[in-house]
Amino acid sequence: MIKEIAQNLVNLKKEFAKIYDGISQIQEVIPVLKSEKFPINDLDSLHNFAKNNPIYYNSYEKIICDIPCIVYEGDINKYWLNSIQYGSSRAPFSPTWILSAYISSLYAKSLGYCQVIDIGSGDGRIAYCAKVLGLDSYSIEIDDMLVDLQNIISESVGVNFNPNCSDAITFDYSTLDLSNPVFFIGGLAQMGGVALATGILENTQLTPIKKNTGLVLAGTVSQKYASDLMNHAGWGTLIDKFSLDVIDTVILPAVWTFKETDDTHYVFTKFQK
Amino acid sequence: MSSFDDISEMFRSELDKLTHLLNSTNIDSNLSPPEIVEIYYQIMNMSSMNVMLKQQLNSDDQKSLLDEIIETEKLISDKFNYTIHPQILEKLTQSIQDITTNLQSSSSGQKSKEEIENEAKQYEELRQKMSTKEFVEQYGKGLSDD
Repeated sequence: MIKEIAQNLVNLKKEFAKIYDGISQIQEVIPVLKSEKFPINDLDSLHNFAKNNPIYYNSYEKIICDIPCIVYEGDINKYWLNSIQYGSSRAPFSPTWILSAYISSLYAKSLGYCQVIDIGSGDGRIAYCAKVLGLDSYSIEIDDMLVDLQNIISESVGVNFNPNCSDAITFDYSTLDLSNPVFFIGGLAQMGGVALATGILENTQLTPIKKNTGLVLAGTVSQKYASDLMNHAGWGTLIDKFSLDVIDTVILPAVWTFKETDDTHYVFTKFQK
Repeated sequence: MSSFDDISEMFRSELDKLTHLLNSTNIDSNLSPPEIVEIYYQIMNMSSMNVMLKQQLNSDDQKSLLDEIIETEKLISDKFNYTIHPQILEKLTQSIQDITTNLQSSSSGQKSKEEIENEAKQYEELRQKMSTKEFVEQYGKGLSDD
């Protein structure tokens, strides 16, 4: 069911990309109402996140694939400039879609995970969606300007998704009292994700809970990026090196795939027991 | 292999393109990324051709072409590598700094849709110039490796 919703979102994005005639740097859509294709109870919460997020400066209604949607137009240039000026991040901020964040969190919940740790969390949308779904969530972001943004959103929407301004590789995870966590690694394998994931996987504080821990790795099969000989959207070598089991892959739109034919592959993995 | 006349013609045609580019380009103005890339492309094209032809020309009756090749190498080395290339790099660096400063000083208050989308064009220009600078620096690195 969740993968069907994901496919419906991919189809919606494809149609939206065809008809979009604006010039905003980033754009995404969220259906207005729960429907057969999007049987989601939390749509209002997702709109609330977008409406209270300063990166979006315009929104309007549009019917796409016969589904009434709100289009959100945004700009993240100043965060890019900040990250390259001060070297404050490993990969530039380029978020997944809010509905993609929700669907991937929903999938993590369906796998039985209790805590979501959003690594390289940008504006904190995955941590927010996890919290909306009733999971404990933590957002870890190294870029202070983005953490300020998360705090603004968190306060405006009245949902505390625990923003932390910290380097995820050296973060002390023992302070979070994790039992059955899933880590979402921000950044494509090909865009700094592998270095980030390696750092997390080598963090010894996770050793006691590894058998209950999952990792969600965002990758691409786009030919614009070097492919991994062991596949898995760029993550095959890392998956092999750390002996991870692949649970499944969910394909979802992200800001960076708006003009691409291939959407983002979220590879759900876990440590071998 | 092409006849000597064909080779000479090809060489002179490419040299004409390069000479025209260097003479018609106002280095003091801010060259656009496509203009910069076009100049470097032609310089690299000409340099590769010089290397290839020098290996093939050996008889005395080909000496005039060989002399032209040596002249062209001198033009690239003296006029481009040591004069124009550093100027282009300096201009690009300054332009990137100016755009960055301008964008950073732009007020962070409420902006209209039009203001945000106009500013986005400056960010796009900044990205293009940064990427062009990287390309120009790679060329310079090749010179220092020689």
